[in-house]
Amino acid sequence: MLDFAQNTLDGIMVGASYALLGLGFTLTFGVMRRLNLSYGPTIMMGVYAGAYVSLNVYGSLLLALAIAVAVSVIVGLVIEGVCFRAVQSDNPLASMVSAFAMWMVLEEIIILLTWGRLFPVQNPSGLSTFDIGPISVRGDYFALFVAAVVLMVGIYWLLFHTAFGRKVRAVGENRKSAQLVGIDVNRVSREIFVLTSAFGGFVAFFIAASLHQITPGFGLWATVKGLIVMILGGIGSVPGAVLGGLLLGIIELQAVWYIGASYRDLIAFALLFLFLVVRPRGLLGQGERSS
Amino acid sequence: MTDYGISVLSLICMESFVALSTYLLLITGQVSFGQQAYFGIGAYVGSSLTALAGFDLTFAILAGALVAGVVAAGVGALTFRLGGLYFAIATLAFAELIRLVWVNINYQVEVDGFMVGPKGSEGFRDIRYLLDNDISSNQYLWIIVLWLALVIAFFIVLERSRLGLAIRMVENDETAAASVGISPTRHKIMAAAMAGAIAAIGGVLFAHFMTFIDPRNFGVMLGVHSLAYAMIGGMGTFIGPLIGVGIDIGLLESLRIFSGYRMIVFGSLVAAILIFRPRGLLDEKTVHRISMRVRQALGNNRKSTRAVTDDPG
Repeated sequence: MLDFAQNTLDGIMVGASYALLGLGFTLTFGVMRRLNLSYGPTIMMGVYAGAYVSLNVYGSLLLALAIAVAVSVIVGLVIEGVCFRAVQSDNPLASMVSAFAMWMVLEEIIILLTWGRLFPVQNPSGLSTFDIGPISVRGDYFALFVAAVVLMVGIYWLLFHTAFGRKVRAVGENRKSAQLVGIDVNRVSREIFVLTSAFGGFVAFFIAASLHQITPGFGLWATVKGLIVMILGGIGSVPGAVLGGLLLGIIELQAVWYIGASYRDLIAFALLFLFLVVRPRGLLGQGERSS
Repeated sequence: MTDYGISVLSLICMESFVALSTYLLLITGQVSFGQQAYFGIGAYVGSSLTALAGFDLTFAILAGALVAGVVAAGVGALTFRLGGLYFAIATLAFAELIRLVWVNINYQVEVDGFMVGPKGSEGFRDIRYLLDNDISSNQYLWIIVLWLALVIAFFIVLERSRLGLAIRMVENDETAAASVGISPTRHKIMAAAMAGAIAAIGGVLFAHFMTFIDPRNFGVMLGVHSLAYAMIGGMGTFIGPLIGVGIDIGLLESLRIFSGYRMIVFGSLVAAILIFRPRGLLDEKTVHRISMRVRQALGNNRKSTRAVTDDPG
């Protein structure tokens, strides 16, 4: 029972970061009606840049985070331009394949620059494990959790209490009508890429810090986690992404404890496949909407 | 031919199986990121049959294709109703699921004093069929080409058959297809089974070529590449994906200036082609125009010969 509670707590803390990756996917999809598979590699570029600066130039967590966010945003805008704005095909899958092609490019750039070796990411210092009663809390997980919650509150506020959020939701509801009432859809698309890349880069840096390292496989990892969370929660649903992230985190950590670490990803993919077959609209999805 | 040339050609041919498999689904209107799953099933089933049970290579290929075809039909039946985006994600999930099954599979049998068999993430070593049967890499290339020719012959027949027309009609307009008595679901499942089997043939051949496979061979990048092959080569005819494979491996691999930058060059190429030619170099319109022109040329010839023979003077 204690193990179960401990796993659940760890799962919630890890799951909060998954939730943000899922939010990145779901928000982009809501506005673009296209899937940005390059999301993981985009924020990976940010983490590498931040880690590089904090290792070689000036060791400061804040500076590293700022660099990570800035580089993620720049790469995100490039992806938006090349894979979404320029690909004017009515087939939504053209952008998807294009994003995949850019993913290859980004991953290869990283491999060329780092020789494919793993790259250390400094853990925010002074975060040691502390105990609450019989349960122990890992300091870096706790930092990850706090960062994720702060970001989620910020995103919620942006989406539901600002003019920008209203536009995003209007475009998500119906792209054509949004255009008719005078919303600059292209501009909203660009802004949503800036937003998702920025918080993606931020949370990715904390994830990498809790792992103490980053490898070129991080892009795939982040994309897959975000995709699973988005499907679990229901495409386009913001609360669904949060719920899906927590669920995935808890299930993964329970699976690691009770079945074995090598089954962690197997369970995650099985869950994704099962959800797609049994309940494609996810936990809180609106049902199939035509794109 | 040099050994290097033989291995590059073999690789081109083996990748072609996966590319054609993805293409077959594309012309039914389904984008699959997961045909590497069936490539992997073929590789593991086929090499288990030859290395562990001592079966013949031809039998292993047929059995691998059968198993993958049945699995693909099952997966298709479960996922085709999802459509578009959800289907693409489902294929990706399934392929990764299968890859992780290889990572967790551990089964060895003693063959001639060696322990042979899949060993989790370390892979499946000692698939010694070619060595044991004295098949040189040159001969093996011919075996690969023969199988590829069979698959290509299948595509040629398919594109001229009623079934091929039905499949393309399902892509264009499911409702219209259904209204003239073509069942979209049945045709899609049939296409999925055939696509799975084609990928598996390539997988069995690949495993025996490498003599050693590991789960990383069947990662998502293989599926993405095969999709990119069809996308850049063109979706109008089966020659499209073959051109795609040729461009990637043949051109970029043999032009050594690109070594190390291969992914960057290839990725940018794909991104650029998707911007300027969203349906690839050889799209349906181009194919139609070329075939019209060829037919016209042939027609003119026939007419002029007839004119000559008909001329009484």
